[in-house]
Amino acid sequence: MIIRAGNQGLGNLKVMSKLFIKNDIQSLFLLVFLFTILGGQPYLFADEEHEEVKTTAQPDSETLPNDDLAAGEMIYKKRCISCHGDEGDGDGPAADRFQPKPRSFKKAEFKYRTTPRNSLPTDDDLFRVISNGLPGTGMPDWADVLTKKQRRQVIKYIKTFSDKWEKQADRASALKIGEPVPTSEESIERGKKKFTALGCTLCHGAEGRGDGPTSLVLRNHRGDSVYPRNLNKNWLFRGGGEAKDIYTRINTGINGTPMPSFADKLNNEESWDVANYVRSLSPTPNPERGSLIKPLSIEEGIPTDPEDPLWDQAPSSWFPMMGQISFEERLFTPTVTDITVKSLYNDKEIGFKLIWDDRSSSKASKPSAKKKIYTDQVAIQFPEKLQPGGVKKPYFIMGDEKLGVNLWNWQSDGNQVFETTANGILNGEVKKSESNVKGSGRFKNGQYQVVMKRSLQTSDKEKDIQFEIGSFYPIAFFAMDGTNGEVASKRSITPWYFVLMEPETPKSVYILPPVVIIFVFGVEFVLVKLLKKNKKASSSS
Amino acid sequence: MKLPLIAKAFALELGFYLLLKLGMPLITSPLPSSVIFMYMTLVTISILLYVSIFEDDFGNFYIPIVDFIRGDDNESGLRKLSRIAVFILIPLFFGFRSYQSVLPNFNPPFPQRVIHPAPPGSAAGFTNPFGDDEANHEQYIEEGREVFYKNCVFCHGDKLDGKGFFAHALNVKPANFADATTISMLMESFVFWRIKTGGIGLPEESTPWDSAMPRWELILSEEERWKVIMFLYDYTGWKPRTWELEGDE
Ligand code: HEC
Ligand code: HEC
Ligand code: HEC
Repeated sequence: MIIRAGNQGLGNLKVMSKLFIKNDIQSLFLLVFLFTILGGQPYLFADEEHEEVKTTAQPDSETLPNDDLAAGEMIYKKRCISCHGDEGDGDGPAADRFQPKPRSFKKAEFKYRTTPRNSLPTDDDLFRVISNGLPGTGMPDWADVLTKKQRRQVIKYIKTFSDKWEKQADRASALKIGEPVPTSEESIERGKKKFTALGCTLCHGAEGRGDGPTSLVLRNHRGDSVYPRNLNKNWLFRGGGEAKDIYTRINTGINGTPMPSFADKLNNEESWDVANYVRSLSPTPNPERGSLIKPLSIEEGIPTDPEDPLWDQAPSSWFPMMGQISFEERLFTPTVTDITVKSLYNDKEIGFKLIWDDRSSSKASKPSAKKKIYTDQVAIQFPEKLQPGGVKKPYFIMGDEKLGVNLWNWQSDGNQVFETTANGILNGEVKKSESNVKGSGRFKNGQYQVVMKRSLQTSDKEKDIQFEIGSFYPIAFFAMDGTNGEVASKRSITPWYFVLMEPETPKSVYILPPVVIIFVFGVEFVLVKLLKKNKKASSSS
Repeated sequence: MKLPLIAKAFALELGFYLLLKLGMPLITSPLPSSVIFMYMTLVTISILLYVSIFEDDFGNFYIPIVDFIRGDDNESGLRKLSRIAVFILIPLFFGFRSYQSVLPNFNPPFPQRVIHPAPPGSAAGFTNPFGDDEANHEQYIEEGREVFYKNCVFCHGDKLDGKGFFAHALNVKPANFADATTISMLMESFVFWRIKTGGIGLPEESTPWDSAMPRWELILSEEERWKVIMFLYDYTGWKPRTWELEGDE
């Protein structure tokens, strides 16, 4: 069956193709077969996650002087000065827009150390902070733009801002961490008892959400207010979120803030117990950003009570939030960092349960009050109408002049639900005279749980989104912490996400694949038969 | 020993796939799977063309496969087993693919975003009033730095890499000025237009409704906007694209 090569010119093409057709239908099959398998493979291994923009921060390449201190100064002046200030006093131009403010190197009160409270950190401590940054604050991680040597050089320079470094030349050494106690129910239970007994709850609250009775009045050494950390979100711990890091923190305290050191009150085992308990307050793994909310279909009515057990069945989606800084007045230091959303629907209604942390449930202060406090608030945003094609949307921060949004709001003051519409944040919200949204909220141990629900269809087709099964609806969320002065445009925001009530899977899904399998199998069968016949024919001839 | 032709073809195919999939990300950014698919199709066709033109080899190429498919009465057990396995796997593969294709698609409508759209006519002809003032250059950059850290750092980040403190909450990520695909390939007047009118000023193909980029004409003065541009270029070391440069290329 081997085709002999004549000259390889075009003249042979005719002969070639003849032979090809006559003898070798197989090869045709072969071509198709190879092509689908090889060509189809990228689909099999295609990664679905959308491809992130590559970020190539440029390392400092300019020639730095040989002298470490001079090099450190240059790095500082390029990279750090805008926050930490010319004089190292933490008063750079951006200082007021960060909470906590950038550290003052003049005061030399360093927070995240391995050394005892009120002492200076080791160089390795500073190196760690500069390399990894401080999550949840403005302090970035520098490992990708500064080499190890450059990080050491800048450390040398920031020490020149305070004479404490000279005075305390024989500095305390790093904490020794004893034999670890692996996490277990018993250890967590013991840790929980200690947590209350030691008074952690006074600041950090009964469930650790940073909402203890003292939480709103604490100040740091500069006189700025400082909030106890919400211990339910360990990804925002500055010094690291694992038990070992928590162990270090409770044995060293946080200088310049009310967070004490418990080194003289806890032995090694007790420290691990408390650390294991604190770690257990945050979910493992940490939540990931959702994109699509899929409400759960139920037979029952949608409960307006957020504590109704039906809500436990609905899947959760987690969305990080940011301050609204695109329009005046801007919110640079929000306290609501994220929101969790659950959703249920039946043939008449759709409901959402929103869960977020807030240190206090606030009521609006009287107009005469010195420090203004507003009501806490949350809102779900929908476009007033779906646009044809489903791509075009109103601007995600409260719509724009052309396309309006509809907001379902809930406020803590009076536990009220109301609806508004908006055409751009600068134009303000208009309260709807007639609202179909119902709901209620609860506040407990530093956490809000709020339910809002509405009928799928309403009579106001102009200003209310009409829900249908199988369509994608843009959805976004807002939250306001009234105690933090958040009102009107000062709010935490999310971008647009989607909500989809999934239709039932069509029957064809279960019919087509078996048909295809049988067909392909048939083709294989015929192919083998053909080849066998072919062989017999050629060997007998 | 000479490798059988079919093995060579397969190795070539695999080699190209790995090169595209794993090699390319080392040089540039990872290729989207649709592009890989396109290249692989080309590679497959070229290999088949190559072996089919050199007829001699073509026989060597497919005979082992044909033999394998046909089987033999006195073949080894292993060979028989693998043949049966292949015959079962192929229909299953196609069945799976058809299942994937009829399964309702629950991917939300995410349009392809045009990152650098053609600016409207009103965006042309902005020139930096401080551009020629060499004497005060440093001073302007210093002032631009202040504007940046008071206004832009939260999204575009301390390192101008688009990874600001708030960036993780956004879907359309803030531009990474350190990367070669943003301000380094834009003209100053384009950058000025973007900063002036923000995300909301983009044309529809750039999904203005999803961009958090503020419309800075509402907040910053024209002078502040030019100074911050000077800071962006100074900090990253890029030069704005100019007409002269374009002529040179
Ligand atoms: C965008 C603002 C910003 C920039 C730029 C910045 N920092 Fe910070 N830095 C902060 C903030 C905010 C804090 C305080 C965080 C806190 O209190 O939890 C901080 C804290 C620190 C601390 C104290 C850590 C501790 O344990 O107390 C060090 C050291 C530090 N920064 C070094 C640097 C160096 C070195 C650079 C430049 C390479 C730099 N920072 C650039 C905002 C910044
Ligand atoms: C007097 C009030 C107070 C008490 C009591 C207190 N804390 Fe704190 N704690 C704070 C404050 C305030 C902060 C935040 C400091 C800052 O952000 O600069 C904090 C921060 C923390 C952090 C975060 C560390 C990081 O890396 O971000 C942990 C963990 C913590 N505390 C655990 C505890 C434990 C465990 C106890 C009891 C053994 C305790 N705290 C008792 C006030 C307190
Ligand atoms: C609230 C977040 C936010 C803030 C604050 C912000 N930006 Fe942006 N910016 C973005 C986002 C998101 C994009 C990408 C989407 C787009 O192109 O609109 C962007 C894009 C840009 C672009 C376009 C780059 C390109 O390649 O087309 C420029 C230029 C820019 N920003 C400059 C600035 C300047 C200067 C400031 C401060 C005065 C600033 N931005 C503040 C979010 C922000």
